[in-house]
This record gives sequence, structure tokens and C-alpha cells, in this order.
Amino acid sequence: MKRFFLLFIFLIIVLSVNAQKYMTKNGYIGFFSHTSTEDIKGDNNQVAGILDISTGEMVFQALIKSFHFDRALMEEHFNENYMESDKFPKSIFKGKISDLSSVDFTKPGTYDVTVDGDLTIHDVTNKISAKGSIEVVNGGINASSKFKIVPEDYKIAIPGVVRDKIDKNLELTITMKYTPIAGK
Amino acid sequence: MKPYVKVALFVVLIIAVSGILYALILYNKKHPDTSKVKPDFIITAAALQKEFEDAEAAASAKYIKKILEVSGSVSSVTQADSNNVNISLKSGNDLSSVICTFATADPSKFKAGDEITIRGECSGFLMDVLLNNCAIVQKRK
Repeated sequence: MKRFFLLFIFLIIVLSVNAQKYMTKNGYIGFFSHTSTEDIKGDNNQVAGILDISTGEMVFQALIKSFHFDRALMEEHFNENYMESDKFPKSIFKGKISDLSSVDFTKPGTYDVTVDGDLTIHDVTNKISAKGSIEVVNGGINASSKFKIVPEDYKIAIPGVVRDKIDKNLELTITMKYTPIAGK
Repeated sequence: MKPYVKVALFVVLIIAVSGILYALILYNKKHPDTSKVKPDFIITAAALQKEFEDAEAAASAKYIKKILEVSGSVSSVTQADSNNVNISLKSGNDLSSVICTFATADPSKFKAGDEITIRGECSGFLMDVLLNNCAIVQKRK
């Protein structure tokens, strides 16, 4: 049902064709955590995102299982012990550029913005606020941001043996290259 | 030292060494090389997408974490970040496709319209069926 609902929303977006909405299905979210023994790094290049430049609304969706790690064992632990991706396969962010007036979408250039919204990870939703930048380029819009979250806020349990070794904060990097939704 | 003590020590040593070796092997385990492993399923991009669209739960249970060999027509090739390239394969639905992520730049030589076969590990369904850890099996003309 939920998927049809999403498809329905998506259809509405596509049918209300105008150049106000931009999307990508090849967005990037990476996370990074430094520990005393080694760095933990996961990459996801299959992030779907929609940006409405008339309202500043942004939506991101990602599958947890799409995060890729160099070490197979790390990927397994990430999915099974920490994110429980069989139970909670998706992560979603819904938010808004709060200072939309500072961006001139008609003029190529880079603009600093602040995005506020709800981030759902591991079935726990928290309000977040992140600084980022919007780059208006020929034929599209690039958005990027780097901010920190605390795994405990999302009820992600870190076992006692490694808790002291892992940095309390996890750094997220987001890079999206949007193109106008087909049809213009 | 009595002979049985020696034997016992030796056994303990063997167990300890193999334990450490096993842990090291696990720790350094690589992802399966999808260009070489045998696929669990061989399917077209259109059929795979349809299965997920019609019954996501059943398709998820059937395909997630399995190695799929998927053939189809390239709809787009995107240079993703961090040295990854995404290839989308057309399905019967214009709004949804099969997106395959490669950790090499090699697939960037392909272009829309090419008929190819890709082997990758299924991560599930978002708006599209997602495959990771992909390799090109062959290019068909």
C-alpha cells in the first residue's frame, strides 16, 4: 500500500509537469566514523531525491542495504547488528530549505542554505537542521551537505566493547545532482 | 614435562592459531566477485521490475542479497560519486527501472540503447530495483 502511495505521489509530481521540480535517482549519501582502530566508511550511490524549487521542499529516500563497505563483514554487521535492515529497509528525510529566498535559481552560482526537516533512520524520526549548499548549474541543480548525527538518537545500539572506540558522532555527506523532471 | 602435557599444549596452540587465522580471514573477507560467481537467478530487467512492482514483499524475500544476472537495454549511464558508475536498465514502466551500481569506471563506456547483461547483488526496491556490487557479463549487439 505504502509503495502505491509513493508511486501515486510520484505520478502527481510527474503529471504536474513544470520546471519547478527536480529529481535524481543516483544521489549519494556517505557516512564516516572515526575509531581508534580503523575508519568506518559506507557509501550509497542509489539515493532518490526530489527538490521543489518553488517551495524549497526536499525529500530523500535510501535503502539501507545499498550502503557499501570495503569490508564484507563490516557491511554485514552494519545491516544485521546496527541498522536491522531486514526490519527497517529504508531511511527517509523530508524537509525544507528554510532560507529559500537566498537562492536565485535563475542565476548559476553557489548558495549557502539551511535545511530543516525530519530524518527517519532505524524507524526513529528526529528533527534535524543542516547547513548545505545549492549550486545552480546549466541543466540542473546540485545540492550538498555535511552534518553530524548521533546514532543513539536513532536507537542504534552500539555494543559496550566498541562503544568507547567509536566517535559519538557520525558524519553524513550528501551529494545530489538533480535534473528537471522530464517534460519540463 | 609429561608427554600428555606437551600434547595438550600443542593442541591448545593449534586451536588458538586457527582461531586467530579464522578471525583474520573473516575480517578481511571481500565481497563476492560478481563477474565470477554463479548467479542465483537469471532474469530480464522488465520481468524483475514487474515482480517487485506487483508484489514487493514476495520479490524482496526472493531476491534480496541474491546474485542476479539481469539483461536489458541501457536507459542511462550516470557517473555517481566516489568512483562509482550507475547504469539504469529499462523496464516496462517508464517511471521505474533497474539501477545497477559499479565500483569501477569501466561501464561508463556504455550508452543509452546498448543491450547488456549485468550481474549484481540485489539490495531491494525503492522506486527502482537496486543492484549493487555489479559486473558486466557481456555486451550483446
